[in-house]
Amino acid sequence: MDILYKIFVDPFVQMGAAPDLLVQTMWEGLVAGVLYALIALGFVLIFKASGVFNFAQGIMVVFAGLTLVGLHEMGVPAFLAVILTLGVMFLIAVAVERVVLRPLVNQPDIILFMATFGITYLLIGIGELIFGGNPKRMIAKELYLPSGSVEFQTLGGFVQLQKIDIAASVIAAIMIAVLAFFFQKTRIGRALRAVADSHKAALSVGISLNQIWVIVWFTAGIVALVTGIMWGARSDVSFALQIIALKALPVLILGGFTSVPGAIVGGLIIGIGEKLGEFYWGPLVGGGIESWLAYFIALGFLLFRPQGLFGEKIIERI
Amino acid sequence: MFYREAGQFKTSYAADMAVFPIRQDRIGLAVILMIAFVGIPLFGNQFFLSSVMIPFLVFSLAAIGLNILTGYTGLISLGTAAFMGVGAYACYKLTTFFPDVNLIVWILASGFVSALVGVLFGLPSLRIKGFYLAVATLAAQFFLQWSFVRVPWLYNYNTSGAIEVPEHDLFGIPITGPNALPETRYLVLLTIVTVLTWFASNLIHGRIGRAWMAVRDMDIAAELMGIKLLDTKLLAFAVSSFYAGVAGACMVFLWYGSAEPEVFTINQSFLILFMVIIGGLGSLLGSFLGAALIYMLPIALRVLPASLGVPIAAATVEHLQFIIVGALIIFFLIVEPHGLARLWQTGKQKLRMWPFPY
Amino acid sequence: MRAPGDGHGIMAGDVLLAVDGVSLSFGGVKAITDVSFDIRKGEIRAIIGPNGAGKTSMLNVINGFYHPQKGRITFKGEMRRRMRPYEAASQGIARTFQNVALFKGMSTIDNIMAGRTLKMHENFFWQCLRHGPAMREEVEHRRFVEEIIDFLEIQAIRKTPVGKLPYGLQKRVELGRALAMEPELLLLDEPMAGMNLEEKEDMSRFIVDVNNQYGTTIALIEHDIGVVMDLSDRVVVLEYGRKIADGSPAEVSSDQAVIDAYLGVPH
Ligand SMILES: Nc1ncnc2c1ncn2[C@@H]1O[C@H](COP(=O)(O)OP(=O)(O)OP(=O)(O)O)[C@@H](O)[C@H]1O
Ligand SMILES: [Mg+2]
Repeated sequence: MDILYKIFVDPFVQMGAAPDLLVQTMWEGLVAGVLYALIALGFVLIFKASGVFNFAQGIMVVFAGLTLVGLHEMGVPAFLAVILTLGVMFLIAVAVERVVLRPLVNQPDIILFMATFGITYLLIGIGELIFGGNPKRMIAKELYLPSGSVEFQTLGGFVQLQKIDIAASVIAAIMIAVLAFFFQKTRIGRALRAVADSHKAALSVGISLNQIWVIVWFTAGIVALVTGIMWGARSDVSFALQIIALKALPVLILGGFTSVPGAIVGGLIIGIGEKLGEFYWGPLVGGGIESWLAYFIALGFLLFRPQGLFGEKIIERI
Repeated sequence: MFYREAGQFKTSYAADMAVFPIRQDRIGLAVILMIAFVGIPLFGNQFFLSSVMIPFLVFSLAAIGLNILTGYTGLISLGTAAFMGVGAYACYKLTTFFPDVNLIVWILASGFVSALVGVLFGLPSLRIKGFYLAVATLAAQFFLQWSFVRVPWLYNYNTSGAIEVPEHDLFGIPITGPNALPETRYLVLLTIVTVLTWFASNLIHGRIGRAWMAVRDMDIAAELMGIKLLDTKLLAFAVSSFYAGVAGACMVFLWYGSAEPEVFTINQSFLILFMVIIGGLGSLLGSFLGAALIYMLPIALRVLPASLGVPIAAATVEHLQFIIVGALIIFFLIVEPHGLARLWQTGKQKLRMWPFPY
Repeated sequence: MRAPGDGHGIMAGDVLLAVDGVSLSFGGVKAITDVSFDIRKGEIRAIIGPNGAGKTSMLNVINGFYHPQKGRITFKGEMRRRMRPYEAASQGIARTFQNVALFKGMSTIDNIMAGRTLKMHENFFWQCLRHGPAMREEVEHRRFVEEIIDFLEIQAIRKTPVGKLPYGLQKRVELGRALAMEPELLLLDEPMAGMNLEEKEDMSRFIVDVNNQYGTTIALIEHDIGVVMDLSDRVVVLEYGRKIADGSPAEVSSDQAVIDAYLGVPH
């Protein structure tokens, strides 16, 4: 009985007793969720346009962040480093299209998926070889990102928000809006959406498939850089982030592989869900459940809705 | 010229259905087994046995396990290392409870424990397909890894959090612990790997293997032919996890001698996945070739340049390894998606035709 | 090959399968609307209709891959709200597919052997050893499979991975795989689509032979009206998911509704 009480009643009693803590925890979950959503977003872009399940998206985030910091360490001014990093991400997009996607066109999805493992390892190896394997500090101040925190007195206590977290949420929102605009209103954006439906349609817009691949991978690279900066400013830039980046997968499962709103909602559910789980239920089993909770949340959803939150139910044909 | 099947007429279906229908292949296999069982223990030095052959066999076994799941049944798993961990910890617990029972029994029994856990995490495969299933196996990876740290019972409440393997004897000869000779550990492991490989080959060539491959190639058609999808997939999970579990137990008991949870991380799972991809999805031979390549690569990187007088820093070796593995994966997927095993087959085919080009 | 035993008291000419008031829809799309017909033991029953008429969906309902919202299916005297794939297969319903659904990575022999799965029972332990009973069973079924291979005249491609075979041969292997199940009811979804004249003649011969020699009941979807007229005993015609005619080939081909709906429409 006691254990049932501890699982099903006590956490909620605690939430009610200290609502400020609840809000604080949810806020932290929200920020983590925004970052998961950003990784998932880069992933959705690529999946939508090329059908490739890009395992390397998490690494692209780290790689972009690392390149930025590495360039700055070599004496490049901060904003020039951002531009140069964008150039690097563009080169990666071109290289991926030339070396990996083009020769593998028409191969089964699983082969392409595995190929992105190859990209992952290449990026890790090259990144560490050039910039070293030690964690690096993000050049947040040089990029005029805010630091410090603000406190609110609410709900009978204090809620503390890191300014960088607020900035991250705002920037994420802006980027999503820009992307939405890009997809809805521009010629290239429409072509990208067309390619998701049919490759022929895209060709009729006058853009070759190869160009489209470069564009989506580059767009995903830009998203990766922004994510890398935000994430790096909160912790450090290192390849350890790779493990956390894997949490974009349960996010995608929740949101569906092709839905941008899905990625965002999924990211928030996972982010908030795992922080609440860790804070209120974690102590019951010795803590640290954050490392796997996200996957179980996604799995639970999946058992009831195999098509994800926003996906349509598909009846297989034969 | 010598690699010909001419003159070898198959007189029965049984002969035609043999795993190695060509005589030269059988001879080749016998020679390899002779070298493995007699030559290597006689002539191999300590380093070669403990640091090359034993790890190679452990990884081959794990790769066979993953190949059964991914290569033969088409279910992606990113959690192999965690199931190796289950085998290792199960074996550790079983030997603490019943230290007097023959260790081989417990190594195999821990395979069954791992199989059980594998079935549990395989259950979602009924509703979840493809990439989505990868997430289920990630759940297994991170949950199990977490348990290895957070459940002190698993490591007998050691303050170090690691498991230490005590000495065990087999017919009076120590096979684990500091007094076990590398030759003994190698031979025990080799026997286990040989027998389990033979089992795997038998399964794959029979009804069960065909059902696995049918589910991999066209699950709907398989289902409409009366192959029960869930049973078939769960069996694949069970057998695969069994192999991974035994590999894990062998890794800790016959190779490391002790282990920490960090041994069973997701990166280890990835490495085994790469062994399977590069070796050849759906090929037992490929599991060995892949394990050899991926495991020996860093060794070669360390040893070769040093012997040529160009020393490379250890960190650089690690980075280079990442780059080479990544490049190899892409290379193989593009040039030969069926991996090293298919290259070997093609080579053999050419030999059969030699000296005629067609 | 042995003739499948009919220990269920169903004699040639009796109703083997009856579909009763079946309706099936996908979201808003009505694939089948209130269709009833029956298939008698030993006959070749053709199902025809224009593209999208619901023919494939009907077969999918019969072997339990789609679950109809309304209606009943009676097979060998047993009535069901719906079939389940495993049930259908183990009760003796086999099929081929409109778009070949072979196991691409497996050889011809293994594909057809896979059709024997339901008839093989040796347990996991013996399978691990591949000796004794497991090997005996394997050999016995291999012999049966070789008979099918001889019957379909595909000896030369025994060990070829089916993914590498030309389309016509793939269709033949697929028929072999279905025959390996020794079905009582064989569902063929456009077995001759995309074939040249010679291949069509071969395939027609195999279908007639299966029907004659082993008494296997056959439901056949086919667009080639000539083939349908030659092979089938009775024809059911679907259009937009509804049944518009049912009868002998002669009756159906003189039916005005059919002429309007189907024969008049080039496809
Ligand atoms: N799994 C499915 N999901 C959605 N709609 C489906 C599905 N299967 C069939 N349909 C729809 O049901 C209708 C009937 O399709 P069906 O494949 O049964 O036709 P058919 O008579 O076999 O046509 P064809 O001659 O082209 O093979 C079509 O409108 C089709 O789009
Ligand atoms: Mg059809």
